[in-house]
Amino acid sequence: MCWICDLYGDPEIEDGRWFLNPENHSRHMYKIKRPEQKAKAYGTDPEAESGKLVADIMAKRLEDPEEFKREVEEANAMKGDGPFQIGQVVPLQEAVKIAELSYPVASMHCICRYHCRGHQECNKDEYSCTGLGVGMLKWERWPERYKGGVHFMDPEEVKAWLTKWNKKGMVHTIMTFGGSFVGGLCNCDYPDCNIIRNRLDYGIETGCVKSHYVAKVDYDECNGCGVCVQRCQFGAIKFEVTQGKTNIDHMRCFGCGLCETGCPSKAIELKDRESMPGLKEMW
Amino acid sequence: MNYSNYPDIQIDLSKCTIPFACKKCLEICPQAVFVTYGIKVERGRETDPNEPGSYGLAVAFQDKCTGCDDCIEVCPEDAITITFPEMEA
Repeated sequence: MCWICDLYGDPEIEDGRWFLNPENHSRHMYKIKRPEQKAKAYGTDPEAESGKLVADIMAKRLEDPEEFKREVEEANAMKGDGPFQIGQVVPLQEAVKIAELSYPVASMHCICRYHCRGHQECNKDEYSCTGLGVGMLKWERWPERYKGGVHFMDPEEVKAWLTKWNKKGMVHTIMTFGGSFVGGLCNCDYPDCNIIRNRLDYGIETGCVKSHYVAKVDYDECNGCGVCVQRCQFGAIKFEVTQGKTNIDHMRCFGCGLCETGCPSKAIELKDRESMPGLKEMW
Repeated sequence: MNYSNYPDIQIDLSKCTIPFACKKCLEICPQAVFVTYGIKVERGRETDPNEPGSYGLAVAFQDKCTGCDDCIEVCPEDAITITFPEMEA
């Protein structure tokens, strides 16, 4: 079983999927600030702390590669019990379900692309990240974080918005803010997304856990057009020349479903990761 | 993975003053080695990307640098220098 579901899922609800457990969308909704409390400055919350810890580990890779390896292993072994922010890849249909569960949903600019490429998204057509939950109603308190503003969306709009980014080829990733609270739904790609990069290039797993699915090609239907190869952000798909078809490496597949939604001949289906014995412990 | 042969990438911040507005190196780098960040962060106020010194440029993934020198070519201020360690014979 997915270790996040083990921690935060309810077996009675939606096959135990942790992010579809309403509790993880509501637990922190009424975290009311007492009058004497001051709002914490941006950069001092647990998520930023987690970011700093990851940055500390990352810094070791240049100074002391052996120590770096050890610390990455330690961080990965901690899983949900550590101070690290949890993130998981979800396919489009689950991303839509999450957005339906959560309220409010507001799109905003992507902080990763902002840092990595100096790319500023300024209006609702450009926003590629979302914040979920009532925390978003307080967005104006952190103008540095929500540069360019936010745009609140109703469920229909979110669905259209997610589909738009899926069509463009972005991976949907959810993130926790404060324990198990699902507070972010991002559209990510490599290399400008920090969590995907940390996982693929440096093996830091907690921020980008694989989805509950794995993509499988039906060789009878595949005509070898190669669209899925372009869409895979994880380098899991290769064109197999002698077969004239594409080949998906299940070990590398994160189950984001981009190849499935892009396949013109509907030759790819998402299979349950846990239905495959060799993959069920691979998250 | 071999992390030992990464280069020393120096950014002369006295020359590179408006990285967020310029962003030529950020966009061209195939390995996405650079990051930009706000320096003058003030609550309630947007930082002007065209104001010199309001943003900084840093090297985050020097171990991914291949030495293609695209950033050096594209930099209008010649602010970037890349030195790879001497290869052992």
